[in-house]
Amino acid sequence: MRKKIFQYVQSHSDEILREWIELMRGEADERAIQAMSDHMFVKTSSEFVQLVMSNFSDSEQKFNERAIDFSEKIVRLGWPLTMITEGLRVFGKIVERGMQQTGAIDQYSYIDFTTEINNWMFPMYRTITEAYTTSWERTISLQKIALQELSAPLIPVFDKISVMPLVGTIDTERARQIMENLLEGVVNHRAEVVLIDITGVPVVDTMVAHHIIQAAEAVRLVGAKCTIVGIRPEIAQTIVNLGINLEDVTTTSTMKKGVEQALAATSRQIVEVQE
Amino acid sequence: MNMRIPILKLHDCLLISIQWELDDQTALQFQEDLLHKIHETSARGVVIDFTSIDFIDSFIAKVLGDVISMSKLMGAKVVITGIQPAVAITLIELGIRLEEVMTALDLEKGLEKLQRELGD
Repeated sequence: MRKKIFQYVQSHSDEILREWIELMRGEADERAIQAMSDHMFVKTSSEFVQLVMSNFSDSEQKFNERAIDFSEKIVRLGWPLTMITEGLRVFGKIVERGMQQTGAIDQYSYIDFTTEINNWMFPMYRTITEAYTTSWERTISLQKIALQELSAPLIPVFDKISVMPLVGTIDTERARQIMENLLEGVVNHRAEVVLIDITGVPVVDTMVAHHIIQAAEAVRLVGAKCTIVGIRPEIAQTIVNLGINLEDVTTTSTMKKGVEQALAATSRQIVEVQE
Repeated sequence: MNMRIPILKLHDCLLISIQWELDDQTALQFQEDLLHKIHETSARGVVIDFTSIDFIDSFIAKVLGDVISMSKLMGAKVVITGIQPAVAITLIELGIRLEEVMTALDLEKGLEKLQRELGD
């Protein structure tokens, strides 16, 4: 039976490919189609079908390698996983219908056929999904590293004054890193005042506020002063509505005011040069 | 026999540099010694330097907090200097805020701060 399927697929490969592309176009996600040109779609599709077909002829190891290569490419193109599994299902359907039409299977050999095609399809599902998720996970972990690098820089702007701009949401892991960078930086730069800029933090909830307060207290313990700058109106509203007590921490609305206060705290000021 | 922590007098200030990890006994001994010394010398300021300490447990932190409040009661202002980042994180995580205490980056700045506070 396996031979029969194989022979059918090989001799009708062009037909199958054409039919498959047509069906997929109807079924596929709008998003995936929009993301690429027609030419690209046909090319990737035929690649996919060839991959599926190669499962017949290649050894298992070779197929795995090809599947991993292909899925990496797919992830980059932004094709959803559902489209791949859907594609496999459609492929099986086309083969089944085609073989029925040519009379290669009848109702007696049908059970044989289903068993065989299932045996063939399932490992493929597994391999492709696995390869897909692996490359996905790798992408995510790479991004995570990149994000960590951008996470919490401490910038010495003046003698004794350093600034830490925060952009993006703060979770527990990041808060920990912020705290570490902040304290290490204060000690290394011998800063007396640190400004934490939260202009770029979209949401300040109780947890984020808690982390910020903790950071501010820790800064005080190592012997510097901490000011939170960049409190936007909506953040001020949420803080008060949530009943968060920020009384013990100095806060200002803009970085400009924060820098002025910091200079005043270190008994300095900026003056215009007289010409 | 445990080691005692030396307490040095400088004008009207007392200087203490803690050089090794405190055990419970030493910490309590230190509390006693410091209070006696304040009484003896009628010092107005105390600087405790932690630069070489990179670990503090909750009991030591409590004893230190107590020493600071007691010194205050005896009329001496306390500045803590040189707390390491790791120690600061531990203290915050233990919920020890040392709220009433002045802090400074190092001994030099601590003394400056104290002088300013004492109004000299």
